[in-house]
Amino acid sequence: MSTSAPTIAPTFVASGSGLSFAGLLRSEWIKLRTVRSTLWSYATVILISVGMAALMAASFGAGGSQIPADAQVAFVSQAATFGVFFGQLVVAVLGVLAISGEYTTGMIRSSATAAPRRLPMLAAKAVVLLVCTFVVGLVSTVASYLVASPILAGTGVSASITDPDLFLPLLGGALYLALVSVFALGNGAILRSSAGGIAAALGILLLLPIALLMIPADWAADPMPYLISTAGLGIFGLNAFGPPLAEVWQNVLVVLGWVAVSLGGAGVLLRRRDA
Amino acid sequence: MQPGRVTGFLGPNGAGKSTTMRMVVGLDRPTSGSVTVNGKHYRDHKAPLREVGVLLDAKAIHTGRSAYNHLLAMAATSSIPASRVREVISLTGLETVARKRVGGFSLGMGQRLGIAAALLGDPATLILDEPVNGLDPEGEQWVRQLVRRLAGEGRTIMLSSHLMSEMAVTADHLIVLGRGRVIADAPVAELIGAATGKTVRVRTPYAPELAALFVRPDVSVTRSGADLLEIVGVSAADIGNQAARAGIALHELTPVSASLEEAYLALTQNDVEYRTGTTTDDPGAVDPRSATDLMERVR
Repeated sequence: MSTSAPTIAPTFVASGSGLSFAGLLRSEWIKLRTVRSTLWSYATVILISVGMAALMAASFGAGGSQIPADAQVAFVSQAATFGVFFGQLVVAVLGVLAISGEYTTGMIRSSATAAPRRLPMLAAKAVVLLVCTFVVGLVSTVASYLVASPILAGTGVSASITDPDLFLPLLGGALYLALVSVFALGNGAILRSSAGGIAAALGILLLLPIALLMIPADWAADPMPYLISTAGLGIFGLNAFGPPLAEVWQNVLVVLGWVAVSLGGAGVLLRRRDA
Repeated sequence: MQPGRVTGFLGPNGAGKSTTMRMVVGLDRPTSGSVTVNGKHYRDHKAPLREVGVLLDAKAIHTGRSAYNHLLAMAATSSIPASRVREVISLTGLETVARKRVGGFSLGMGQRLGIAAALLGDPATLILDEPVNGLDPEGEQWVRQLVRRLAGEGRTIMLSSHLMSEMAVTADHLIVLGRGRVIADAPVAELIGAATGKTVRVRTPYAPELAALFVRPDVSVTRSGADLLEIVGVSAADIGNQAARAGIALHELTPVSASLEEAYLALTQNDVEYRTGTTTDDPGAVDPRSATDLMERVR
């Protein structure tokens, strides 16, 4: 470089205090709330949950007061959390789209220039998705309880939300939805494609247990409690594919294991690959 | 590259312009070596948006988000306030479309949004890959003035383009790439000078006599008309002096100034990667022999 340019002192406005994890969280929060798919997905989760609860409550015949009190609580809890089974499919799609949408649109390159370190970006995305989905999940299970409870009270079935046997499943359903969304986020980050990520996440959540059920051999039942959806439904006492592990914390650990593998794989690949 | 100067990055498709720019901000990793920005890897900077502003690809934006929200999300990473987002929006003339979803943007609006994003951190260095791509003439003019103004503020600007006319009016200094190698690194004026100045057009009724004066190995004389000669290798002054001494009347003596386009073609003619009728199995090669190999294969 031989020519000398006139030296002009740069007079830039100092702008921003630099990268921080709080900044990344804020950025991911803006990203999540400013695409329509998020609003639609969350609205769907709540509507499905409330609708399912109303249906289940309405289909219950009279004479509920005859059954024991703990069975009444269990029934109310099941009505309030039944929608989580369908909600998990919706938040899985949302979780995949949260990152695959960046790859398919090229947004990931803008994200990577703003925050060049990939892992904090993935972590911020996961935290925001986890918290938002948990809140939405909790709104949906509590709203479902509030809808189902008066209907069931008419048939003599009643349960108080202050009963741990009721509010723990409501929290558990929300927790499972939140964990599914970040599990799916990992799937999307690994596959970098919306179709591929959704297929993988839904395949693991839904097709894997169904395929196991269809295998006539005895051993096919053994891995069942360790599948993410069997264990996840076990967190709030739902048994759709087979009996989950006995304790809630065991089921939470199984789901966390799936989340860790998915996000861990995503983290390793994100660091290794070019954006 | 120097502050206050616009450095142009010129090369045929596939020469490595975009890849080089992507490597600067760590989107691609070099197979060997490393790229640092102000002494550090881009990813190690505390405030990367303030170090370098990049426009690599106008379509690197989520189509479902509005321009304002896109910029707001990018700004949030470095705690850049929303007031700065509004500033860059008005700086790039996007006020009327800022709340609309990016999916409906034209290529030109996408370029403006990409430039707005590059300016968010008010960086001292700007890297713009093909900024006039897809812009109408008015937009091109706008980019040119913006780039000159930003350079005037003392910023370092790196600009890539395959449009020579654009470079000639915007850049101060040129780096020419071919097949992953730097084939020239010089001020624009010097590059044009190197490829030109050597050719002098001479019109004289005594063309054969004048040509006879320059039968030398380092000079080539081409007769392009009954009274017209193109002489390469001697300055116009020398030709005039020698003709006077020999008593030859000259009717015209013109140093031919090549355009930047010709200078560029002269530099890259051995380095065009995708030449019709040939294939090459090593597009990313940095082997200096490969261009020669390719030429041999062409023959």
